[in-house]
Amino acid sequence: MFNVARHRPLFIALAPLLSVVAVVGLGAAVDSYWQYVLGMSLSAMLVGSALVMLTGYARCITLATGSIMAIGAYASAILTVKSGMPFAAAVIAGAIMGGAGGFLMALPSVRFRSHNLAMVTLVFQEVVIILLREWKSVTGGAEGLNVPAPHLFGVTISNDFIFLIVLAVGTSVGLLPLSILLQGAFGKNLRAMACSEVAARAYGINVKRNLIAAFTISSFAIALASALMAPRLRIIDPDSFGILPSIFALAYPIVGGTTSIWGGILGGGLLRAMPEILRPIADYIELGEALLVIGIVLFLPGGIIELFNRLHKIVTRGHFVKAGKLPDFISSERPPERGKLCSGENVAWAARIEELSVRYGALKAVDQVSLNVRQGTIHGLMGANGAGKTTLFNAVSGFIKPSGGSISVFGEALDGLLIEDRIRLGVTRTFQNVAIFSGLTCLENVKIGLGRNDIGTALARSVHGTFDTIRAREESETAMRALHSVGLSAYAYVRSELLSLGNQRRLELARAIVSNPKLLLLDEPVSGVAEEEVSKIHELLRRINRDHGITMLIVEHNIGFLASLCDRLTVLNHGRVVAEGEPKATVSLPLVRDIYFGEALVA
Amino acid sequence: MSELIMILVGGVKIGSIYALAALGIVVIHKATRVVNFAQGGLVLLGAYGAYVFIVEMRWPYWMAYVVIPAIVGCVAVLIEIVVLRRMRRGDLFPVVIATIFLGIALSEGYRLSTRAEILSVPSFVSTMPFVIGSVVISPEQLWVTFGALLAAAAGIAIFQHGRVGRSMRAMASNVRGAQLCGYSIDRVYGMTWFLGGALAGYAGVFTAPVRGVSSELAIATVAAAFVAAVIGGFDSLIGAVAGGLILGVSETLAAAYISSAMKSAISFLLLFVVLAIRPQGLFAPKKVRSV
Repeated sequence: MFNVARHRPLFIALAPLLSVVAVVGLGAAVDSYWQYVLGMSLSAMLVGSALVMLTGYARCITLATGSIMAIGAYASAILTVKSGMPFAAAVIAGAIMGGAGGFLMALPSVRFRSHNLAMVTLVFQEVVIILLREWKSVTGGAEGLNVPAPHLFGVTISNDFIFLIVLAVGTSVGLLPLSILLQGAFGKNLRAMACSEVAARAYGINVKRNLIAAFTISSFAIALASALMAPRLRIIDPDSFGILPSIFALAYPIVGGTTSIWGGILGGGLLRAMPEILRPIADYIELGEALLVIGIVLFLPGGIIELFNRLHKIVTRGHFVKAGKLPDFISSERPPERGKLCSGENVAWAARIEELSVRYGALKAVDQVSLNVRQGTIHGLMGANGAGKTTLFNAVSGFIKPSGGSISVFGEALDGLLIEDRIRLGVTRTFQNVAIFSGLTCLENVKIGLGRNDIGTALARSVHGTFDTIRAREESETAMRALHSVGLSAYAYVRSELLSLGNQRRLELARAIVSNPKLLLLDEPVSGVAEEEVSKIHELLRRINRDHGITMLIVEHNIGFLASLCDRLTVLNHGRVVAEGEPKATVSLPLVRDIYFGEALVA
Repeated sequence: MSELIMILVGGVKIGSIYALAALGIVVIHKATRVVNFAQGGLVLLGAYGAYVFIVEMRWPYWMAYVVIPAIVGCVAVLIEIVVLRRMRRGDLFPVVIATIFLGIALSEGYRLSTRAEILSVPSFVSTMPFVIGSVVISPEQLWVTFGALLAAAAGIAIFQHGRVGRSMRAMASNVRGAQLCGYSIDRVYGMTWFLGGALAGYAGVFTAPVRGVSSELAIATVAAAFVAAVIGGFDSLIGAVAGGLILGVSETLAAAYISSAMKSAISFLLLFVVLAIRPQGLFAPKKVRSV
C-alpha cells in the first residue's frame, strides 16, 4: 500500500524535477533556437535554486556568482580540451572545483555579515576574473576559450534537443540534493541562523560551519550549471562572468522568491529567458530587470512565488484552521511520561559557580559570585536592573567569557567550551527577548531544539526527513510530545511568529525541554506575558520540573511568581550575592526589601 | 624621485575623488543605517550632469559645481522617499538588495539615454603646468585634489558641527531618542540623503574631466568607494577620506610599478588585508559599551 500522506516530503523533494521535465516537454515543441533558450533557462534554474540556499535561506548577499560560474565553465572546458576528459567527467570535475572555490571564498567571508560579506565575495569575484584575463596560456586571456561540442558515449551532440535533454539530466542531478537539503533540517537550520544567530548557537548550530557549507554546496550547483551550459556557448570569455552577471544572478531568487527552491527555479527560468522573449526591446532588459527587483522588494517581498502561495490559500481556504480559534492551553491533560532524567546520577549539585567574575571594561557586572544549584530544584535569581543576572546566565551558557572563577555543571567544568557544545552537557537556555525562529513552524522550531545540529548530522537528517525514515518520525513524535506538554500541539503547523507572546515563551520552553536538558536557564520567562498566562506558565514550569526532573535556574522580576515557584532564591545586587535562602524568608529580609522597594528610605 | 612624486600627486587626485564618494556612503550609513550601493550610480549621474551642463548646454563651468550637487542630492532624496522609506522598519537585507539594483537602474538609465561609449568633459583649469625641477604638476591636478578635499571637509563640517548635522548624529546614536527630542525621522533622513547625494554629485563633477563619463563609472566608483569606506572603518568620516586617499595612492603606485592588472587587484588586496587583520577598519570609532 502506498501512502501518499506519508511520502509527502519525498514528493516535495522530487517536485522541482517536474519543472525540468516541463521545460524538456516544451523543448520538444519548439525550434532549435528556442531549445537553446530553454537550455539557458534550465541552467539558470539551477543557479537560482543554489542562490535560494545562499541568499534566500542563509541571507548572504554574494556578488561572486559570476566567478563561480567561470570556474565551472573554464575548468570543465580546459579539462575536456587539454586532458581529453570525457564530457560528463569534466562537468562533474568543474562542479567540484566550483564547490572548492566556494569553500575557499567562504573561509574568510563567514566572519562577516551584510555589506562586509558582500565586499569579500566581490574581492573573490574580481580576483578570479583578473586571473582568467592574465593567465593567458591556460585560459586564453581576454579573447576567451573555445569549448568543443560535448561527446557522450562516443557521439558528438550537435542537436539542440538532445543537448537540452543532457542539460535536463545534469540540472536534475544538481536540483535534487538542493531540494532535499532546502526542505530538510539543513535548510531549517540556515533559516534559524538567519533569524537569530544567538538562539541558533545556543541550540548547537555552528554558524560559521553552516555558512561555509551553504557557500560550498551552492557554489557546486552554480558551477555545475555553468559547466553544463559551456559547450553550447561555444566561446567563453572573462567578460561574460563579470560583476554584472553576478548581480543579475542575485535577482533570480529575489524575483522568484527566497523562501523555497521554487523561487529560484521560477526566477532563474523566467529572467534568463526574458531577454530572448522580449527581443524587440532587448536593450531595455537590464533597466527593466533592475526596476523589477526594486518593485518586488517593495511590494512583493516573497517574490513571484508568493502570488502562487496566495492563490493556493484562496483555493484551499476552507482547509485552514484560523489561529485564533485554536484551543489555548490543554492544562487538564497529563504530559507524556519521559522518566526522571537525572535519576541514576549521584551528583547533588546541578551547577556550581565559584568566585565568578565578569567585567565590561572597568565595570564589574558579576563580582566573585558563588552560587550552587541543587539538582532537581528550581533556583530563583533576583536583583534590580544591572545586578548581573543576565550576565551570569551569559557566562554559564557561554556567550560571555568570564574574567575569573569557574563554572561546572554536573561535575563537568565548562571553561573554554563553545556555546554550541554546551547543549550536549545538558545546559539549555531561553532568552529575555523571545528568540524563536520566525518563518519556521512551531514544530520545526522544536525540532531544532533536539540539538542534532552538527553540520554532518543536519545534512543526514535532511535525507532522513525526505524519506520519512523511522528516525525522522521519532523526531517528529518527540517534538510533538514536547509541544503537547506545553499546550501548543494545536499550533504545530502554525508559523511561530504568529503566536502571542505568552505562547512564544511557551514555545521556547518546548524547544528547551526537548533538548534533554539537565539544567534549564530561564531568563525572565513571564516578562511581558499577560496576567492570566503567568499562572499557566507557573504551573507549566512546575510540571516540567517535577515530571521531567529538570533543574532550573530562573531570573525573573515578578517576585510573587518567583517566590512561589522556586525552592531556593538568590539575590544579586551590583554583581554580588547579598542574600540566599528559602524564597519567602529571603524576600522579606530587610536588606532585600531595601534593594527592591527602597524601604529604608521610606522608613 | 620626480617620477614618484608625480605618481603620488596623481594618486592623491584619484584618491580624493574616492574619498568624496566614500564619505557619502559613510554619512548615509551613519545616520540612516542604510548601506548605499547606489552611490556609484549617483556619482555617474553627477558626471553626466557635468557633461550636459558644460559640453551640451555650454553653461559656465563653475555653475556645474553649484547646481549639479544640488540636483544629485535631490535625486538621492527621491530615492529615500520613493524606495527606502517604505523599508525602514524591515531588516537590512532587502535594503542592500534595493540599493544594489538602484545603482544598476541609474547606470542603465544613463546608458540608454546617451548610447555613447564614453563622453569627455574638458578640464576646469587648462593653464600651463607648474614645473619644479623635473616634476611636472598640472593646475588641474591641484584643483581636483583640493576641490574634492574641500568638498569633503565641508561635508564633514556639516555633519560634525552644523545644526543639521546634530540631528543626523542624534539619529545615528539613537533613533527613538532623537525622535523624542523632536527630530522628525523623515526630515533628518531626507537631509542626510541630500548631503550624501550632494557629495556623490561633487565626486561626479570632479571625476568627469579625469576619467570621462561612461556607464562603467558607476560600478567602478561604488566598488572603490566601498573599499575606501570599509578600510576607514565604515562609520568614520575621517576614515573614509583617509581610506580613499590610501586606495588612490596604492592603485596608482601598483599601476606604475607592477602592472595595470594589479591596479584593480590592489584595491581588493588592500580590502582583504584590512578585513583580515583589523575587521573594524583603520579608523573605527572606539566602542563605548553602555550598561
